[in-house]
Amino acid sequence: LGVYEGRANVSIIIEAIGQDPVTVRGNITDSQGMPLSGASVQEKNTSNGAVADFDGNYTIEVSSSNAILVFSYLGMQTMERTVGQNTSINVQLEEDANFLDEVVVVGYGTTAKKDVTGAISSIKGDDFKNLPISGIDKALQGRMAGVQVVPNGGAPGGSVAIRIRGTGTVNNSEPLYVVDGIPTANIDGVNPNDIESIQVLKDASASAIYGTRAANGVVIVTTRKGKSGKLNMSVDAYTGFSNVGKTLDVLDAPTLAEIKRERYANDGIPVNPIWQDAQYQTQLTNWQDALFVTGKTQNVDLNLSGGNDYSTYLFGLGYYNEEGIIEKSAADRVSLRINSDHKIKEWLKIGQTMSLSSRTSNGFNTTSAQNGLIWSAIRFHPGLPIKDSDGNYSSNQISGEFGDINNPLFEVDIQDADRRDTRLLANITPEISITPDLKFKANFGVDYTILDQRSFRPQVLNQIRTTNENSANRSYDEQFSFLMEYFLTYDKIFGDHRIGVVGGYTQQSFDYQGFSASAKNLPDEDPSQRLLGTGELNNMGEYKAHDGLESIFGRVNYSFMDKYLLTATVRSDESSKFAEGNRTGVFPAFSLGWRVSEESFFDVPFMDNLKVTGGWGELGNQNIDRLQYLARISRGQRYSLGLDGSVDVVGANQSSFANTDISWETVRMTNFGVDMGFLDNRLTSNFNYFIKDTDDMLLRPPVIGSQGSNPSPYLNIGKVRNKGLEVELNWQDTKGDFGYSLGANASFVKNEVVKLVSGTFLGSSFYGRPNQEISRTYEGHPIGTFYGWRTDGLFQTQADIDAHAEQPGAVPGDVRFIDINNDNVIDDKDREIIGSPHPKMTYGINASANYKGFDLTMFFLGVAGVDIYNADRMQGLDASYPFNLYSDITGRWTGPGTSNEIPRVSTLRTNLNHRTSDLFIEKGDFLRLKNLTVGYTIPSDLTDKIGLSRLRFYVTGQNVFTITGYSGFDPELGLTDGNLQQNVDFAQFPQARTYLLGANIGF
Amino acid sequence: CDKNILDTTAYGESTSATFWRNGDDAVAAANAMYTLLREEDSYGHNENVFDNCADDIFRAGDHGYEEAMENFTMDASNYGVRAGWKNKYEMINRANAVLINVPGIEDMDETLKNRVLGEAHFIRAFGYWRFSVIYGGVPLILEDNIIESNFNVPKATLAEVQAQIESDLIAAVSLLPATHNSENLGRPNKGSANGLLAKLYLYQEDFDGTIAAGTEVINGPYPLADNFRDNFTPATENNPEMLFAAQGSDWVDNPQYFVTPRPWGGWDFHNPVQNVVDEFEDGDPRLEYSIYKPGDMVQRGPELTEFTADLTQTGFSLNKFTTFNDDGSLSNQANVPILRSADVYLLVAEAKIRKNGLGAGDDEINAVRDRVGLPFVSNAGMPELIHERRVELLGENQRHQDLMRWDKAGIVDIVEIYGEDRGQFDPVRVFVRPKNYYFPIPQNEIDLSNGVLIQNPGY
Repeated sequence: LGVYEGRANVSIIIEAIGQDPVTVRGNITDSQGMPLSGASVQEKNTSNGAVADFDGNYTIEVSSSNAILVFSYLGMQTMERTVGQNTSINVQLEEDANFLDEVVVVGYGTTAKKDVTGAISSIKGDDFKNLPISGIDKALQGRMAGVQVVPNGGAPGGSVAIRIRGTGTVNNSEPLYVVDGIPTANIDGVNPNDIESIQVLKDASASAIYGTRAANGVVIVTTRKGKSGKLNMSVDAYTGFSNVGKTLDVLDAPTLAEIKRERYANDGIPVNPIWQDAQYQTQLTNWQDALFVTGKTQNVDLNLSGGNDYSTYLFGLGYYNEEGIIEKSAADRVSLRINSDHKIKEWLKIGQTMSLSSRTSNGFNTTSAQNGLIWSAIRFHPGLPIKDSDGNYSSNQISGEFGDINNPLFEVDIQDADRRDTRLLANITPEISITPDLKFKANFGVDYTILDQRSFRPQVLNQIRTTNENSANRSYDEQFSFLMEYFLTYDKIFGDHRIGVVGGYTQQSFDYQGFSASAKNLPDEDPSQRLLGTGELNNMGEYKAHDGLESIFGRVNYSFMDKYLLTATVRSDESSKFAEGNRTGVFPAFSLGWRVSEESFFDVPFMDNLKVTGGWGELGNQNIDRLQYLARISRGQRYSLGLDGSVDVVGANQSSFANTDISWETVRMTNFGVDMGFLDNRLTSNFNYFIKDTDDMLLRPPVIGSQGSNPSPYLNIGKVRNKGLEVELNWQDTKGDFGYSLGANASFVKNEVVKLVSGTFLGSSFYGRPNQEISRTYEGHPIGTFYGWRTDGLFQTQADIDAHAEQPGAVPGDVRFIDINNDNVIDDKDREIIGSPHPKMTYGINASANYKGFDLTMFFLGVAGVDIYNADRMQGLDASYPFNLYSDITGRWTGPGTSNEIPRVSTLRTNLNHRTSDLFIEKGDFLRLKNLTVGYTIPSDLTDKIGLSRLRFYVTGQNVFTITGYSGFDPELGLTDGNLQQNVDFAQFPQARTYLLGANIGF
Repeated sequence: CDKNILDTTAYGESTSATFWRNGDDAVAAANAMYTLLREEDSYGHNENVFDNCADDIFRAGDHGYEEAMENFTMDASNYGVRAGWKNKYEMINRANAVLINVPGIEDMDETLKNRVLGEAHFIRAFGYWRFSVIYGGVPLILEDNIIESNFNVPKATLAEVQAQIESDLIAAVSLLPATHNSENLGRPNKGSANGLLAKLYLYQEDFDGTIAAGTEVINGPYPLADNFRDNFTPATENNPEMLFAAQGSDWVDNPQYFVTPRPWGGWDFHNPVQNVVDEFEDGDPRLEYSIYKPGDMVQRGPELTEFTADLTQTGFSLNKFTTFNDDGSLSNQANVPILRSADVYLLVAEAKIRKNGLGAGDDEINAVRDRVGLPFVSNAGMPELIHERRVELLGENQRHQDLMRWDKAGIVDIVEIYGEDRGQFDPVRVFVRPKNYYFPIPQNEIDLSNGVLIQNPGY
C-alpha cells in the first residue's frame, strides 16, 4: 500500500552568497497543491522556527546559507532542504507513509496502526483517483491481500463481486460496507474520487463490532472532508476512448459452407441445398468487428473545500460518463457531495456527510447461450450482409440451417432498455464531550435508493426469433433505510496503561417497496410513444417488505507499556430475519498483540518494527431471504378458461416451505499476523494467516422431485472452511528528487466445503441448449468445481473403439472418454471433478516513481493456479449446431492421425463429443497491466503566474496488456450462478482497453 | 426507540395459516393446479417429446437430448426424462393441498366444494397417469405424505399407481359436474374423468371397464365437434369434444412455437415424416388439418404463402397447433388437446374389437370417420383401428404409447416398426423390450433419494 507520490518542487533563485543571515520565503503545500496552514519550518538543530500562514506561506531568517530547513506538518513526512543559494524554497510535503503513525478507521472509531491487533488492509483514495472505474468496488481489485474482486463482465456500469478471505458461504458472500458510519449493502453511486480512504476489516477481531453482518468482511469507506485554511477549488477531468482487447477467430463463409457439407457427408445424409448455394459462400461480415465499436469515457470532478477553526466543509460535484464498446451500452453518474464538520461549543461538535447520486445505465444480455449478444455475433452467418440492398437487416429467416439467432446489429438497433438509480446517503453525527476522556456520540443516517427501469421491445417479424407483440415494461423500486446509533467512547492513559472503550446501541430499519407494470400491443412504436398507457395492460405487480436490526455493541482496547495490546469486542444483534424467540445472536471476538520491537532486548539489525498478533472471534451472516419461517401462499398464477380461452383466472399456491428454526450463519475465524518494518521502515511487510470456518451455513436441501417445484426451506446445516495466507510488502524510498515505491500483495486461499446436506451435492444452473451441467459443489472440495468427463484424445480407428470401454455410438474421430469407474462402459458415472475456478494465488503489484514534476504509476493484477471452463468454445466447436464455428474447427479430425483434439464434424450428437469434459478446461492464469499512468506537474512557479496552485497532466491506460494462455475474450470472468458457478465463459461482455488523457487543476 | 422495528409482515401473501378461508381461496388453489400444464417442462413442450419416439414424428429441434430419446440411446441423466418429473409432482401436490384443506372450509357452497374436490382428484389422477405411462411405478405422494413432510419414499408398483388413478377418477366422476358453464369451460368435467378412466382400463386390458366408462362419454354431452378443425381453432377450442386440454392464452411456451417452421416464427421441432403422410387415405381432410406439405398455400395474416420443403427439416410441418394472427405473426392462443371424445370413441372401439372381435368397434370408428366425410368401414379389426387412431390423433402425443400398448398385447411388433430404415428422418432405431417400455427414472432423483428410489430395469 501507500503508493508514494512525491512531487517535491524546489524553486531556486540566486540572491545571496556567504555566511550572512539569509531570509528565506516560500510556500508549503500538500501533494495535491493545497496550502498547509500551520505547517512549521525549523532551522535544523536550532530553536529558530516559523509557522506557515493561512495560505501556506512562510518567512524565516536563518543564520547562514549552510543552514538546513526542516519542514513538518502533522501527518506529513518531514522534509529537509539546504538553503544554499536559495531564498525562495517551496515544498510539497508528502502524507506520512510511515505505517506506524498512520491512523486507521475501524468500526465506531479510529486506532493507530501500531495498536491494531486484527487484520486490516487499507488503501488511500489517491491510489485509485481518476481511474476509469464506475464504482469504488472495482478500485479494490488487486490492491489488498485477501480481497478478491470478481468483475461480472466489462459492461459499462457492470457490477462486481467482492470476496474477502475466500467465499465463506454458498449464499450471499458480499461484504458489509460502512460509508462514513452508515452500514449498507453496497457503495453504488458513491463517487470514487470522493474517497479519502478505504479500510477492509478482514478478521473476526476487527469486524466483530458489526456482528451479524460481518461474516463476509467489512469495507469501511471514509469520504474526503475539508481542511481548515483558505478556500480551495480543484478540477479533475479526464477523457478517453476504449476498445475491445481481443476478438475470436471464427470461420469465414466459404469455409463454413465447406464444413457444413462435410458434416452431412460424415453422417451419410443429403447436404441441405442451402450449403451448396453460392450466394451464401461469399465472406461478407465479421460480426464481432461489426458489433464492437470504440467506446468513450469522460469524467469531471469539481471540488470546493476549506474552513476555519470552527467549521470545515467540502463541496463536490462529479460527472462520469462511459459509452461501452458495444453501441448503446452506456453508463453515467452524476454525484453531489456535501461534507462538513462544525464545532458549536467546546463540548459540542456536529458533523454531516451527504452524497446524492444519479446513475443511468443500459446494457445488453451477454450471458445467454440462446440469444446473448456477443454469443450471437460469434455465431451469426458470415455470408450475410449487415443490411441487404433494401436497407433491411439481414435475417436468418432465409433458412433454419443458419440457426435461430437474430442479426446482432438488429438487436443493437432495437435495444431500448435503461435504468436509473438515484441514491441519497447522508448522516448527521453529533458528539458531546462529557469530560475530556468521555464522549457521547450519535449517528443518524439515511440510505435511500430509487431504482427506475424501463424497457421496450418492438414487434419483430423479419428475424428468426420473432416477437409477435411489442411490449413495454416499467418497474420502480424504493429502498429506504434509517439508522440510529448512540454510543459512548472513553479513552484514558493511566501511567503505562492505555485504555479505550466504546459501547452503545444501534438500530437500522430497511423498507422496500415497488411496483411494476407491462403493456403490450402499443399502437405506435415511435420512441416518443413508448409509454405504458398507450398499450394494453399486460401485467402489474406491487410488493412491500421490511427488515429490522437492533443491536448493542462494545469494544475495549487495552495497551500496557505500548508493548502488550488487547482488543475485545462483543455485539448482540436482534434481527427480523428470524422467527420470534430466535432472533438474538451474540458475537464475541478478541485479539492480542505483542510489539516485540519495543522490548529492550530487541536488537535486530535493519529491523525497526516487529509486531505479532493473534485473534479469534465469531461473526454472523444474516443476509438471507426474509420470512423463511413462514409457509407462504402466493397469488398470481394465471390460467384461461372459456370457449375461446378468454376468461382469465388467477391461482394461488404454496410458494415456500417454512423453517421456524432458521438462524444465522456463523463464522468462526482465527487469525495470526506479523508486521515487520526494516531499514527505517522503508520496507514494511505484513503476513496474516487465517482459518475461517463457516458453520450453520444455510442450505436448501436439494428438492427431491416428489416435493414439487418449491425450494426446500433453508436449514443451518452446511460448513465451509477457508484457510489462507496473505502477504503485503511495500518498499519506498526517496533519493533526492527521485522517489519511488514498490508494493506487492498476494493471497493464497484454500476453499473447502466441509459439509452439505448428507450425501448430496449442490448443482448449478445448466448451460446452453442441451442443458449441460458444468459445475457442482461437493463436500471436501471448493465451491463450484467443474464436473464432467475426462478425455483421452480421439478414437483414430475402429480398432481403438473396440479396444476401449463400451462407448455407445462412437465412431473414429470421436472423443475417447475415460472409464473412470472401470466398469467397462462410458456413462454418467464416469464423471468427476475436472477443475477448480478458485485461483491458488491472487496478487497485485504496484510501482510508482516520481522525479521532479514527473510521476509514473503502474498497477499489475494477476491470478495463478485457476481453471476456466470455456463453454463458448465448447459450443463453438460443436458442428451439430446450425451456427458459425470457431476457426479452430479447421483442425478437426478428418481421418486417422489428423487430429487428437478436435473431433470430427457431425449433425448428430451420438457420441456427445461436446459434453462437459476436460477438453474445454483451460488455464485461467493471467497477469494484466491494469493501470499505467504517466503524469507531469507543471512547476509551481509557472502555475503561480497563472494563478493556479497546481496543474498536472497525465495519460492513463487501463487493461493495457494481459499475459495469459487463455483463448477466450477475457480471463477475468464472473459468477454465472451465484457462487455455485464461476469462471465459465459464456461469451460475456469483455473488459475494454481504455486510454485516457486527464488534468488536475488546483486554484 | 421504536420497538416495532423487528415486526415483519408477509405483504401481499397469505400464509398457510391465513389461507383456505372460503370458496374463493379454494377455487384459486384449484386454478393453480392447471398452470403447471402450460410450462415448457409440461405440455409447453416436454410432454410431447416423449412421443418423438413414435414413427410419425422426427425430433427436428436443436435440443441434443431429444436425439437420444428418439433413438432410445438416452441414459438416466437425459434432460428430457428429468424435465417433467418435478412439474408433475408439483401439480399433484397442489391437488393434494386442495384435498387436504378444502373439506374443512366452512364458508363454502357444497356444490362448489364438490367441483373443486373433483378437479383435484382428476388432476392428481392425471399426474399419476402421465407418470405411469412414462416411468411405470413412481413414488405415490398423497395427503399423508404432505402432512408428514415425507417425500423420499420408494416407488409404488405400477399396479398401485394405477389403483390410485382409478380411485381418484372414480371420485372425480362422482364429484364433477357433467358440464361447466361458459365461464368454466376448460375445467375437467365428468366426461374428462370417464374418458381418462376408459383409457386407464384399456392399458390394463380391462375391456369391460373401457367400454363402460367410455360409453358414459359417448352417451354424454360430449359430442364430436362438427368440424375436426374446431378442436384446433382458438375460437372454438373448448367445444364439448374437448374433454381436457392445456389451455392456451398468451402462452409463452406454447407448443405452436415448437411445431411451426423457423422462418414463420416458430422453432421447428416435431416434424411429421413421409411415412405418416402416406398413412392418410385419399380425400381425408385431416391431412390438410394436420400437416403442411410442399405446395400447400398457407394464409399467414394478409399473406398467402406457399409451404416449401426447405422450411422444415423433413419438408413437412405439424399444423394442428399453428394459427396466425391477423398481422401474420404466430398466435399463442392455441390449446394443447390432451383428451378428446374422438380418442375415447376409438378407445371403446379398440376394447370392443379386442374383446368381441372384428366389426365390434365399427360404430365408434365410423363416428369418427363420418365427421370427416370418409366412407364407413365394416368388420373393422385392429389394423383399421390402428390406422384411424394414427391419423385422427397425429401429433397429440398418443402414437408411441399406443404402439407400446399394442406391442405388449402382441398386436404389433414395435421392434420391427422402429427397426425399419425409412431414411434420414426415420432411421433404424433399436427398441429393447422390455427396457424401452419405460423411460429411466431421472438420475438426479435417484442420487437425491439416497438409495430409496430404484432405477427402472435396463438403465
